[in-house]
Amino acid sequence: MENLTKEKIKNGLETFNDRMDGKLLTHLNACVHCGLCAESCVYYQADPQIKYIPATKVDLVSSIYRRYNTFTGKFAPALVGARNLNKKTVEEMVDLLFGACTMCGRCVSHCSIGVDISYIVRKGREMLANMGYVPETLQSTVNSAIETGNNMAIPTEEFVETLNWLEEDLQFEVNDDNARIPMNEKGKDILYTLNPREPKFFPLSISAMAKVFYAAKESWTLSTKMYDVTNYAYYSGNLGEAAKIAQRLYDEIENLDAKTCVLAECGHGSRAFRWEGPNYIKKVYPFEVLTSVELLAKYLREGRIKVNPEIIQDTVTLHDPCNLVRSGGIWKEQRYILEKSVKNFVEMIPSKLDNLCCGGGGGQLAMSEYNDRRIKIGKLKADQIRNTGAGIVATPCHNCVDQLIQLNVTFKLGVQIKTLAEIVADALILE
Amino acid sequence: MWFSVCSLAICLISCFYHFIRLVRYGKPKDYSHKRGNIGAATIYSFTGAMSPKKKESAYLHLPTYTAGLLYHLGTFLSILLFILFLFKIEPYGYLRTVTFGFLLITGISGLGILIKRISKKELRSLSNPDDYISNFLVTVFQLMTALTLYNVSLFPIYFIVVSILLLYLPLGKLRHTVYFFAARYHLGFFYGWRGVWPNK
Repeated sequence: MENLTKEKIKNGLETFNDRMDGKLLTHLNACVHCGLCAESCVYYQADPQIKYIPATKVDLVSSIYRRYNTFTGKFAPALVGARNLNKKTVEEMVDLLFGACTMCGRCVSHCSIGVDISYIVRKGREMLANMGYVPETLQSTVNSAIETGNNMAIPTEEFVETLNWLEEDLQFEVNDDNARIPMNEKGKDILYTLNPREPKFFPLSISAMAKVFYAAKESWTLSTKMYDVTNYAYYSGNLGEAAKIAQRLYDEIENLDAKTCVLAECGHGSRAFRWEGPNYIKKVYPFEVLTSVELLAKYLREGRIKVNPEIIQDTVTLHDPCNLVRSGGIWKEQRYILEKSVKNFVEMIPSKLDNLCCGGGGGQLAMSEYNDRRIKIGKLKADQIRNTGAGIVATPCHNCVDQLIQLNVTFKLGVQIKTLAEIVADALILE
Repeated sequence: MWFSVCSLAICLISCFYHFIRLVRYGKPKDYSHKRGNIGAATIYSFTGAMSPKKKESAYLHLPTYTAGLLYHLGTFLSILLFILFLFKIEPYGYLRTVTFGFLLITGISGLGILIKRISKKELRSLSNPDDYISNFLVTVFQLMTALTLYNVSLFPIYFIVVSILLLYLPLGKLRHTVYFFAARYHLGFFYGWRGVWPNK
């Protein structure tokens, strides 16, 4: 680690000075160190080490706050466990706040006090970002998005080519030469976004959604300039970069004059643009933002698409993405979709707001240095899946899809991993 | 006794300062479109979400949860009795016996929590001197309140204990007297805004 200069320390402490508000002040002062949050954390469950207790992570941040911002911390730091922001503290912060927390928020609702632990972890990451200590692997993902417009650095020509062959494929599948994957069309009802993993590795999930849009006779378009729903700066804690990424999508929605922005199946992307984005750019969106999960449920409710649950005979279970469920309140819609679209749907235990994180959140998939930990905590999810006896795992999040695919191989689960759009597209009745 | 009254005044002013500071900082403005019902979620945050059925921290740790609950009830009762003592009002007869018994149980609960903190490796690692001192002071406060009910000669020591506790309260983790309520509010607001709570 580079030298921790006074300038860097000053930048780190800005979080407690310039950016202080009542919410942060509250959560920095509320933890009573009861330790009862331990079992709520997937890291602690998978590997019961003291450092993985959520309260330990909170204390890393709040102890620094106490040291520099409270009377007792300034004059009797040992009494209240106030810590200096030094090299050792920073190293611990990087290891635990980046490398041992997916910010899944499971510990938050179980906290005996109500400390928003994942919020404090985010603030800790902001401190580290201010000091320039974001892990390089994560930062490079952010850099790709900033420099190329998408986090996988896919050149526009390659993206357009992919969409063109997907369109031909769609026309063949629905037997209609007029079926289209529209690009950059102005004035449409919907601008649909994508996780760059889709054009890069999972183009069939784009086809699936295009087929649903075709069946629903939707007025929609994709942008080839700005289609990336992800915002890894949300994970890195760099607010300036997060704002830049959010602003770019905002500008494209305005540019194409779309009424609604529909966010692809991506937990953190949905959260970062719908809930955090307006606060990054300090603007109220003049357009509607919906997740594709809400849209699919709406189509089914309104009868705009019809599905045949007999088509998918295999038992299907659902993995709830933390950002969509615990931080977005969307957990009924995906169940409605699956109950309509498949014959046998079984819940994981626990599920919904109590669901276990798969281990892929918090930017973990981008930080290869923590791969072993990520797979280790993923065993909990693998066991959950195995216990359902399901042959298909549906999840409305491409990060989760990636992690689940790795768990599937590592723990020999023998299941198929699908997005909700893929499930619906498979069950779709074309009239 | 007057020293205790002064300590109480200092404690209240300090707590009020923390409260005013919270209000002045205000909650961060949320520019996103609200999806849920903040009022209902905030009420849920203070009620349903606190239920032992909803919290792993409670249902996986029922003895600790029960001890913690009793301990806090004992604290509130002891504060009430302290105020009554200031006005020279003391419970008598059956009420005194019940109060004594209850405070003995809550004090023992506090002692149990303190012993757990000392004996468990995980908790020791999480704790700083303030955690032990706070736990100890509140436990002694409850036990002294109980003993004083039957032995008025203990009043001078009792008031010293109360004064130390009141002066210490704003300095360490006992500040959660103020921040606990704020935390529940902010959590209710956050989950309510996004339509996560009330969890039905």
